[in-house]
Amino acid sequence: MSRGFVYNILFRTGIVLSVYIRMSLLKPFSKLPGLNAANILLVECEEQFQKSLADALVEETAVTVYVRLAKSLPLPKENEESRPRIDLVVFIINLTSELSFQSAEASLKYLDPGYLLGKVCFMVTNARNASVPTERLDAVRKLAAALHCPLLFAEDQTPDGVTYATKRLLSILKVSAGLVPMATALYLSSLTSCTVPPDIDQPSFD
Amino acid sequence: MDESKKRLVQRLIRRIPTKMLKTTLQKWGHLTGEQHRAMDSIQSKWALTESLLAICEENELAVKHLTELEMIYMMDNPDQGMWYAFQLTDPGDDAQSVDLMQFKEQFKSHLRELVRQVSVKIKKHTDEAVWIRIAWGDAYSRPDHLKPTYVVHYLQTPYVFVTRLNSKQKPMLFQAMVLSTRYQYFKDANLSGRNLTAIRDLLMRKYQQVFPTKYPSPLTERKQTVTNPHVEREQAKPAANRLQMACEAFGGGTLPQLQSAVYKLETKFRDHTNTLMTEREEPFRCVVKFSSTNLLESLKNCASSGIASTPVTPLLSSIPLKGKNYFVITDNVPGPSSQMRQTQN
Repeated sequence: MSRGFVYNILFRTGIVLSVYIRMSLLKPFSKLPGLNAANILLVECEEQFQKSLADALVEETAVTVYVRLAKSLPLPKENEESRPRIDLVVFIINLTSELSFQSAEASLKYLDPGYLLGKVCFMVTNARNASVPTERLDAVRKLAAALHCPLLFAEDQTPDGVTYATKRLLSILKVSAGLVPMATALYLSSLTSCTVPPDIDQPSFD
Repeated sequence: MDESKKRLVQRLIRRIPTKMLKTTLQKWGHLTGEQHRAMDSIQSKWALTESLLAICEENELAVKHLTELEMIYMMDNPDQGMWYAFQLTDPGDDAQSVDLMQFKEQFKSHLRELVRQVSVKIKKHTDEAVWIRIAWGDAYSRPDHLKPTYVVHYLQTPYVFVTRLNSKQKPMLFQAMVLSTRYQYFKDANLSGRNLTAIRDLLMRKYQQVFPTKYPSPLTERKQTVTNPHVEREQAKPAANRLQMACEAFGGGTLPQLQSAVYKLETKFRDHTNTLMTEREEPFRCVVKFSSTNLLESLKNCASSGIASTPVTPLLSSIPLKGKNYFVITDNVPGPSSQMRQTQN
């Protein structure tokens, strides 16, 4: 977080650190925003839930939503020109698969720290599955808390679950795209970011 | 009433589901219209057995008629039990000209020479397949109609599919088969499955195959599900590439349903961190078994979704390529061993 803040300040004052200038890094402010448009990037290793989410997201009529789907970051260079400014990056993690979590963790490295100021969120599916080890959910929680990002839970099997997940993503997306007056992504994230209970590592006695 | 006939009827009625009984009996064609109507009105299996026994008595139907009924049911519902594939090798000069009548006569006479008490019934199915039902007996007992072996052979092809074959009867069947089809040898094709049509399609390459091509095929373009202009896939190209590779390895469209694949490893243990095992002279023996309701479909999905690396390892792609699902893997060293050799990936 501190690195993100520092970088953000440096960026705004016009001093850009050369370490961050890499083509593969996804940057939040390198392009101009579109008129009444919001762009969301869904990153999911399995590429299953993102399709139904994308179909539901583009149904929104109040703003034009553009959805980009990715399996993992970094994004291919050849799309660099056509890719609009991404307002919100969503990492979808399927809790039943360890690969899904590892892939999301690895993808985070290719994200500009500027995104961590309220433009990233984690979405977890299959959290109610009995076969999921509790440690994995704790790990996702810690990751989200360390990055000060909101953590959403979603149900990917039912149409209702997709609708609710879409609604929640849209409300975050509208703020992070700057379409809601008097609200900024940073302000919203300070209210919605995930927190870890202090005794998460303690064995429970009940 | 003959006891064996009674037991055969009982077994038949127990095995055939009530809703399929009507069509099966109609195909059989040994019942009068009135008897059909009478059979239709009965619900319980016990009453059906009694009624069929009475009809057999009335129409003077023998055991051979009843075995025909069993065969008709089996041909319509072949997916019961495990089917094993065998392959005939080294065809003789006249192997291509064997016709059904000739085959029928020769197979029966060759088998009778080997076993005195045997009952063979051969029927031709609509799709060119010759179905053979063999009820085996031995020197002291009459043929046991309750445990018949079924053999499916396609004339002029080297493939034979067998189910419920006892290891004791194996050599006799092989000899009769080799002599009547004019081939030299009979070998295990190392392919088995619950679905007869699936293993047949796999061996005879009757599924939709995809061949390597430099240009994107229309198939991959059609498969793209994202149609909305507002939705764009960033990594569409690698994904299409993976799908193409997976289809090249396992085939496109619906794949034959295989239930399992077994790899018997007889290779040396290789791990740099574990010197104790690596330095051992004898191979590390283990068996790896993959099972699924539709194995090829799951492997294809693994490759196309990126869980398994592409290009697909020859160990997996040789299931459809070689038409096998049992492999013995040995180290790739020069030697006189005749086993299938493959390098370990």
